[in-house]
Amino acid sequence: MIVKDVVCPFCGCLCDDIEVEVEGDRVVSVCNACELGTTKLMGEKRMKGPILRDGDGWREITYDEAIRYAADMLLSAERPLLYGWSGTHGEAQCVGVHMAELVRGVIDNTSSVCHGPSILAIQEVGHPGCTLGVVKNRADLVIYWGSNPIDAHPRHLSRYTYYADGFFLENAFRDRKVIVVDIRKTETANIADEFVQIKPGGDYAVLSALRALVRGKGETIPRTVSGVTREQLIRVADLCKGAKFGAVYFGLGLTMTPGKYKNIRNAIELVSELSRHTKFTISAMRGHYNVYGSNEVNTWMTGYPFGIDYSRGIAFYNPGETTAVDILARKECDAALIVGSDPAAHFPRRCLDHLADIPVVQLDPYPNATTAFCNVQIPVAVTGIDAEGTAYRMDGVPIRTRKVLSTDYPSDEEILSRMYALMQEERER
Amino acid sequence: MRVTLAMKPAARSFIPIEAESIIPKNLLSGTDISVWRGNRELRLDEVFSVSVEGEADRPEDVEVVISGDGTFRLKRVGEYMDGGKITILGDIGMHCGNFMSGGTIEIHGSADGWLGREMAGGSIICRGDAADYCASGYRGGRKGMTGGTVEVFGRAGVFLAENIAGGVVTVHGDAGDMPGAEMRSGTLIIHGDCGRPAANMKGGSCYVYGTAHGMIPTFRKIGTIQHDGQMLIHFTGDIANRGKGNLFVKDYRYLE
Repeated sequence: MIVKDVVCPFCGCLCDDIEVEVEGDRVVSVCNACELGTTKLMGEKRMKGPILRDGDGWREITYDEAIRYAADMLLSAERPLLYGWSGTHGEAQCVGVHMAELVRGVIDNTSSVCHGPSILAIQEVGHPGCTLGVVKNRADLVIYWGSNPIDAHPRHLSRYTYYADGFFLENAFRDRKVIVVDIRKTETANIADEFVQIKPGGDYAVLSALRALVRGKGETIPRTVSGVTREQLIRVADLCKGAKFGAVYFGLGLTMTPGKYKNIRNAIELVSELSRHTKFTISAMRGHYNVYGSNEVNTWMTGYPFGIDYSRGIAFYNPGETTAVDILARKECDAALIVGSDPAAHFPRRCLDHLADIPVVQLDPYPNATTAFCNVQIPVAVTGIDAEGTAYRMDGVPIRTRKVLSTDYPSDEEILSRMYALMQEERER
Repeated sequence: MRVTLAMKPAARSFIPIEAESIIPKNLLSGTDISVWRGNRELRLDEVFSVSVEGEADRPEDVEVVISGDGTFRLKRVGEYMDGGKITILGDIGMHCGNFMSGGTIEIHGSADGWLGREMAGGSIICRGDAADYCASGYRGGRKGMTGGTVEVFGRAGVFLAENIAGGVVTVHGDAGDMPGAEMRSGTLIIHGDCGRPAANMKGGSCYVYGTAHGMIPTFRKIGTIQHDGQMLIHFTGDIANRGKGNLFVKDYRYLE
């Protein structure tokens, strides 16, 4: 059976033009998706059922036992951490927030280790952004700053920028210019009209210099700024001012380098300055397919996008204190529920030392690095393959992912709702 | 009146204890107050051995002395304090002296992040190091510290005095990256080295008696001045943002 218009549950592009061929309970071929999406859609080697750590080995347990274990663990903790959430659908994230409030824990999602700084900057100076469709149809200048879409968001260029047709551009492929700013010559830099190579840690200074140049105050700028010549800076500033519609896309090369959210703030303020001359927008290249959704869900339910501490019964937000890496590194939690993420593959060693010391329950379809730290792992259906639910694209557009095949695995939402119901019963007693 | 709070050893020793109730004004009317360990509310005497000597009629006459092994995990001590004195014989956790408007906090050890966040008055003396965001503002806020003094005898972490809009901050050692970012008003003095001082500043004065590494290129050099017996180079900026602040550095290096 061929299923059309499937939504790819891999990256923030959330491509919705995929075709997959299904035989029984397996995806046998995938059309239109990039290599990353194809691999995810054809994924195999799922876990059969919930497992419980038993000495040095594992013991198979039922879903009921696993859910009971997780509920008891969270209820008895003094400061449980509920982390992950970006690899699941919005409906499950909603249950997660209710659960965090009930057990008075900390709920954090993966944006605290990727685009959290972008959100901090947006909270300071706002977000002059737009949807991907606007960029596709109007932008004649695209800047990729500290991001490498050819490797990380392979279809971003073909669906929305460099290779895409634009309704308001006569010859989009020739009219559109691309500037790439990075510390090394990436694959994306090879197709750029202008490649700006910055010394590591020098983004902030370059952004400040560009702001001054756009304001016509370039006389104080030294001969080179972070390895970029004054001449090139002037050329880039002129290209930006001369564009009809410019779009900046930035990645972790800007959010996770020294200065973090101040880099993003500086980039946003450059975009505001450029908007005095022409139309400019800026957006983040979000990673997980629903990381934007986890920020949306958290914000509408708690008022804050990530790192929310409910220990005192009310929402408290302070990234650097209430975010997962900081809590684990400082040993400030005593239990962890991980949903739709693999912290053991990404977190610093000090965090994992603590994760190894506390009880951990993970909801994930596949065995992963975090499995080694779990007391219980509960396999679930994969959103966009055998479960459906809402996800938010990197530009904030909600898209409902589809179910392309049926399996016996329960969805994240189902498992979490059952866990939440048990906790409510326990608390009402 | 002198209130001594000696922390008892605890089994789960790393869960933070939020103790915003520990301010002289509250202890004036008795020690029947509570603190929070994670999501559990505890009586003060469950966490500390409490002893009170002497009497007082007003917060200004109350001194609180906090000691013990686990004081580094006490958060929010001295929050909204408006008079009196708190002495910490050891390290203190995050958010010590948040929003304080009067009185004195003296820390004999080091302080964790957000020491004196958004403080409006009073003084904080830290004998050890201060971690990140010392004397800064809150996330997304436009104004950080608006008054009072913070003096750190050791080093300070990153984003020292971010968004400072008044008051004086002095650090005797080195400061981390981006001290005085978004500075609006007030004075920041760093006796050692630091990275990228006064980024995007709008007003106020920042003095660096050591070397400013990774100097932001959008500051205009005015000349040199004599200050406190030192020859300093005077810059104004940040011109990226029409800023009218003053930055004085002993020495500077661009990231060329």
